[in-house]
Amino acid sequence: MRKRFCGSGEHVISRRGFLGTMAAGGVAACADMTAIQALAAPEISAELRRNQKRCILLWLAGGASQLETWDPKPGAVTGGPFQAIQTSVPGIHISELMPRMARRLKDTAIIRSLNTRNADHNSAAEMMMRGRPREAGLNYPDLGAVLSRELGQESSPVPDYVAFYFATEGRNMAPSNPGFLGARHGAMDLYTSMIPENIRRNGISEQDHIERADLRGTLSRGFERGRSSLTIDSHSHAYSRVRGLMSSEALFDIGREPQRIRDMYGPTLFGQQTLAARRLVEAGVPFVRVGRAWWDSHGHNFETHQEMVPELDQVMCTLLDDLEQRGLLESTLVITLAEFGRTPNINSQLGRDHFASAWSCSLSGCGIRGGSVYGRSDATGQRVADGEINAARLFATIYRALGINHRKNYHVGARPIPLTDPGTEPIREVLA
Amino acid sequence: MLRSLLRVMVVTCCSAAAARADDSAKDLLAGDRPIEQVVDHYVDAALKAANVRPAPQADDATIMRRLSLDLVGHIPALSETADFLAASATDKKVKLVDRLLAAPSFARHQAQEFFTFLQASDDPRRAARRTPLFEYLLAGFRENRGWDRMFRDMMLPDEKDKAMRGAGEFLKSRVRDTNRLTIDASVVFLGVNVSCAQCHDHPHVSAWTQDHFYGMKSFFARSFDSGGFVAERDFGFVKYIPNKGKEKVAPVMFLTGKALDVPGLKEPSKEERKKEQERLDQGKKKKTPPAPPQFSLRAKLVETALAPGENDFFARSIVNRVWHRLFGRGLVMPLDQMHIENQASHPQLLQWLARDLVAHKYDLKRLIRGLVLSNAYARGSRWESGDMPPEQLFAVSRLRALTPMQMAVSLKVATTDPMSLTADGKELDKRLEGIERSSEGRASLFTQPGDNFQVSVSEALLFTNNSNLQRELLEGGGTLVTRLKQEPDNARRSDLAVRTVLSRPARAEEIQAISDYLQRRGDRVEAACQQIVWALLTSAEFRFNH
Repeated sequence: MRKRFCGSGEHVISRRGFLGTMAAGGVAACADMTAIQALAAPEISAELRRNQKRCILLWLAGGASQLETWDPKPGAVTGGPFQAIQTSVPGIHISELMPRMARRLKDTAIIRSLNTRNADHNSAAEMMMRGRPREAGLNYPDLGAVLSRELGQESSPVPDYVAFYFATEGRNMAPSNPGFLGARHGAMDLYTSMIPENIRRNGISEQDHIERADLRGTLSRGFERGRSSLTIDSHSHAYSRVRGLMSSEALFDIGREPQRIRDMYGPTLFGQQTLAARRLVEAGVPFVRVGRAWWDSHGHNFETHQEMVPELDQVMCTLLDDLEQRGLLESTLVITLAEFGRTPNINSQLGRDHFASAWSCSLSGCGIRGGSVYGRSDATGQRVADGEINAARLFATIYRALGINHRKNYHVGARPIPLTDPGTEPIREVLA
Repeated sequence: MLRSLLRVMVVTCCSAAAARADDSAKDLLAGDRPIEQVVDHYVDAALKAANVRPAPQADDATIMRRLSLDLVGHIPALSETADFLAASATDKKVKLVDRLLAAPSFARHQAQEFFTFLQASDDPRRAARRTPLFEYLLAGFRENRGWDRMFRDMMLPDEKDKAMRGAGEFLKSRVRDTNRLTIDASVVFLGVNVSCAQCHDHPHVSAWTQDHFYGMKSFFARSFDSGGFVAERDFGFVKYIPNKGKEKVAPVMFLTGKALDVPGLKEPSKEERKKEQERLDQGKKKKTPPAPPQFSLRAKLVETALAPGENDFFARSIVNRVWHRLFGRGLVMPLDQMHIENQASHPQLLQWLARDLVAHKYDLKRLIRGLVLSNAYARGSRWESGDMPPEQLFAVSRLRALTPMQMAVSLKVATTDPMSLTADGKELDKRLEGIERSSEGRASLFTQPGDNFQVSVSEALLFTNNSNLQRELLEGGGTLVTRLKQEPDNARRSDLAVRTVLSRPARAEEIQAISDYLQRRGDRVEAACQQIVWALLTSAEFRFNH
């Protein structure tokens, strides 16, 4: 079958929404033009827009401390200097470094019982981006690529997977990786500039740019006749998306946001990138990762967290408020996650080291039972006392929150590869 | 739905036919038949059984391009295509194949391809040239070393010999992780992925038990990194707890189930341990490779894998890989599942080719020559009407995305002033080697294609808007664009551009479309020439080996 792609950049949201509902997960072509035109009516489009699921991952690279964020232990020998404060949910306390999130816990579930057994930056980051440890001979895709595949759409004019990571520390530890899903689901990586690479026209007039692409299409089409395959279709498809992606440049431009909104997110790079992430998911990008580095506080843990946690608090709280005001929080999952947490023991440099035995993360928004805590670490935070979960269960929970069947299989050759290993159950307690 | 149903039926029929054929495997065609005839004999038989008429043979220009990409790693220069098209000798294809096989760039391209596949899960973007492994492979292909010899060199590298140092890279980069080494060595050399059997008996292959994984692992269990060299102990064994039952010592067992009687499958005595440590420490002190053990399990692996009666895995696996590279699909798919319950599409052909390879000392050049001279290799890649027949019939040539190096070098060949790339063999090769050397950076922009490869949007954006690439290929002196600019006639410009970039004469409608495009840009000739070359470079026809 030759695939046809809608050339029009109009009614973008409605088309994505339509396909998202009808054909999520498949390699859906933009099959029926009339159906799509019919869906262009504004009221339907708004409805569909609400239904399309998306996800923002705030990636705390290097390993943020659970004791200075979601799981404080004031008074314990391992507790450190900061206090715990009461949140808007009776009985739940978090670090005093997060006053805003304390007031706004209603959409967030805290998980305090991760035991992921791997405290090496590289392989732990790889595992926490994929929900499974590395396996020889199997190049498993990361969360962004899986969500691009499950939630993204064939003819989308916006990217399916965007990753911000400006810091140099740790960048190579968890690079975006589409694995066996293929380059179609690879990330648009932003390493140095808020605007993606090669998205701007360069030394050629607008008209020549368009007509040159038309000539390319004409010459290429003669060849494509009678030669259909996934690979060759991906070639024409990639070029058919170029103009759409170029037009999405504006999405990356936070200068278009009102000053009031920009002030809310704050002047930091992390704040700006998270604002860009909100703009992107609003336009239908299914997955954005914002990397904030470098939390690896082997020395001066408390100064590091005193500086970085309040920023996280402001940015995360603002993001949730902003998404809610736009009616997007119900369909957008916000994850805060790192490769591991930090040791309860405080070392001689007043630092905390790598620790994967009892640490925390949070899930907010789409599909999540807000204002809840799952699992418990013991009095000093050395071990999980209750509700231990691993990376696979966390990912099953993420998939379920986004309406994706976590038992689904991909196939690599004849080998079925499940999204999460058989028998893995999501954490029902944190799902709405 | 109906279509796919039909497809399934056809596939089932074929495999049934193939299974029957396998029963009479003793009646293989005679060993002295030319490889290309044997290929066509078996492929045609399967086509006939499935009642499929294959696509016609590709035209000369397409064959020239295909052979050039497969044998020397880049599209042909304009002058080479012109010479081939002009030649009238009936054996001109054979002559071309022999010329390309003899070219220095043949060894370079093979070394590149083998480097990529030997790296397996390593970063595929790592530049190959100037690494010790590439140097080793290059030397090997230059003198047409047998694949058995290369396997032995890589498993038992003589690290004292400087020329052999590169052969040790395969082990060295994996020896710290014995599981990975076991899996990679089995996948790369034996076409079998035993990783499933790590945790449980193989779910699909009833003959495969956990012993098969741990048995293979035993061969590597005594190898370790000793001060930057790969050393091997005289003692050591693998213990594991099977799914059912108590912990056991794994047998030293090859994939065929052949178990070996091995000394040292016990804890060594204090005395023995001390003696061994001395042997290893000596090397460490002198910073020389440690002396080999008295009884090397890795040597046993090589010996067993190559022994008559046991060498099926080794021989079939490399045949299947080379076939896969040239045909875009293996006789067995996937490449790492060459086991008894995964039939080859053409079992007798695979068996014949493996037998032939063993009989001719694992001569890969001979194998490659035979495969590319077959009619099956030379078919057109277009399927004119109706549904494509199942891939495993090889009824139509499969499109293969260019590898990063093929792409990077071909881009430069296509955009260099064609009059500067003469057909004089020696001269041309010197130019090409220079182009290859300067292409590695560009190659890192592209992804190594696997099965079901997809072209990324980033690649399309890169071609569309990247100013460095534009500068490298389309600007400055000595480029195709400069040559086109000097040509006053638009039709001739169009034809020259198509011939140079797509390695074939232009069709009338293409000349029309391109000329019109140029015509409308009479006020900016250089930009217009850049744009038409761009449109050809980014066409699907250029992106694939077709």
